[in-house]
Amino acid sequence: MVRKAMLIDESRCTACRGCQVACKQWNDLEGWGYSHTRNTGSYENPPQLSPQTWTRIKFNEYEGSDGFRWLFLKEGCMHCGDPACVHSCPTAALKQQPDGRVTVQPDLCNGCGYCTQFCPFHVPRLEVSSLLTGQAKVSKCNFCQDRTDNNLIPACVKTCPAQALFWGDRDKMLGAGQKRLENLRARGFQNANLYGENLVGGLGRLYVLIEKPEAYGLPADPKYPYLASLWQDIVHPLGKVAMGGSILAVLAAWLIIRRNIKMEEVE
Amino acid sequence: MNGQEQTTGHVFQIHWIPKYTFVERLLHWVHTLSFIPLVLTGLVLYLDFLKPLAQGEAGGWMRLVHRLAALLFIGEPIIYGVLQPRRLWMHFKEFSFDRDDIGWIKNAFGYYVLGRHGVMPPQGRFNTGEKLNGVAMILGWILFVITGVVLWLGKGVVSADLFRLMVLLHDLTMIAAVCMFIVHLYLAVAHPLMWAGLVSMRFGVVSASYAAEHHAKWYYGPKRAKELYEAKKKAVLTKG
Repeated sequence: MVRKAMLIDESRCTACRGCQVACKQWNDLEGWGYSHTRNTGSYENPPQLSPQTWTRIKFNEYEGSDGFRWLFLKEGCMHCGDPACVHSCPTAALKQQPDGRVTVQPDLCNGCGYCTQFCPFHVPRLEVSSLLTGQAKVSKCNFCQDRTDNNLIPACVKTCPAQALFWGDRDKMLGAGQKRLENLRARGFQNANLYGENLVGGLGRLYVLIEKPEAYGLPADPKYPYLASLWQDIVHPLGKVAMGGSILAVLAAWLIIRRNIKMEEVE
Repeated sequence: MNGQEQTTGHVFQIHWIPKYTFVERLLHWVHTLSFIPLVLTGLVLYLDFLKPLAQGEAGGWMRLVHRLAALLFIGEPIIYGVLQPRRLWMHFKEFSFDRDDIGWIKNAFGYYVLGRHGVMPPQGRFNTGEKLNGVAMILGWILFVITGVVLWLGKGVVSADLFRLMVLLHDLTMIAAVCMFIVHLYLAVAHPLMWAGLVSMRFGVVSASYAAEHHAKWYYGPKRAKELYEAKKKAVLTKG
């Protein structure tokens, strides 16, 4: 299946936060509650992603050669091509769809929270209902699975008045991003770059940035966590071999000793 | 075998001598009772055919049982240490190794797996295998507790890298512990030469003849045990 992607043109974003509202409205997320609005000395609101806030505009304050400016970043799940959250999920609640969307099936989630710890971008959030028992559910952007399954575009893309958001086949999104990059460079944005083409298996969320990723608070070189590979691809299979081997060894030992020892001779 | 049994008429008498105290046995069985549910509720996250038990509401129950059993698992040796610190210290001293242990390891395969009645170096109240098992269990307990507490309470508190490492170490410890448990269970309930172990763990006693044969250093004391061992070895050599 053709891989889908969202292209986010941060050079066009006006930080109207229409995407935040559309996301909450379509996905039935609370407007308040998890992260109470509070003054943090910034226009940013809410202060961070939460179980009830799957996307949000981050206001990066940037001091360039031409003075202060904001670098807006639409945060949310990156839908990695090589999703550590999916591989670390023991319940299969997190899935990578054939078209690359990384989705959550809440009724399968048991709230272990491994995904929140293995995500190289620290995106998934746990809605914890009991600290003592650990009762919880994970949630994150799923590219409006119910819409995109039915050939509709995600709610945030639909609503964006600045035409900064695009949805479609990943190849086309990459092409459009490159084109926009040329345009930006021609207009003097020398640091402009396309973020996510080859990162962590290729991101499903591509950014056109006008400054280096670090200026946006994005990791320049995010990596699939090697401990996840060690854990899932080496330790788990070897562990099964070791346990199965122990059972077989014990059975074999039992057969041998039963043949070699006559019970009457045992005191 | 060693003249410990006396036959009075047709009745075969066994002299039972105490081996484990009541509290020691209690510690053993509470440990078992917490370990088995911990393994079963943990394996649902590991073995694919148990996955349905890890999902959704069922997974929540598994975690609750895991955490309750974990409290027992963590608490039981600590309470033992508080109630009987001297006894706990004695165990640490019992878990010391010497040259007899090397001899035991050399002969263990032939003796326990092939059933060859060789002459084993004299052993204390715990033989080399039991001591190795004990040391591994103490290390495993420490690893389980540290990694488990971080997994329980450390999410979002410790760094993601540390949390990932703890997940990995918890699983590695579990794999080692389960392998050890399989062998331990076999020796306790199925191995024809080891029947005395289960009796001792249930009733706290061991037959004097078994103790003399298998735990000579404990039964006779180290000096006499050594003499008997040397004599036995000589007898076997001259016979052979």
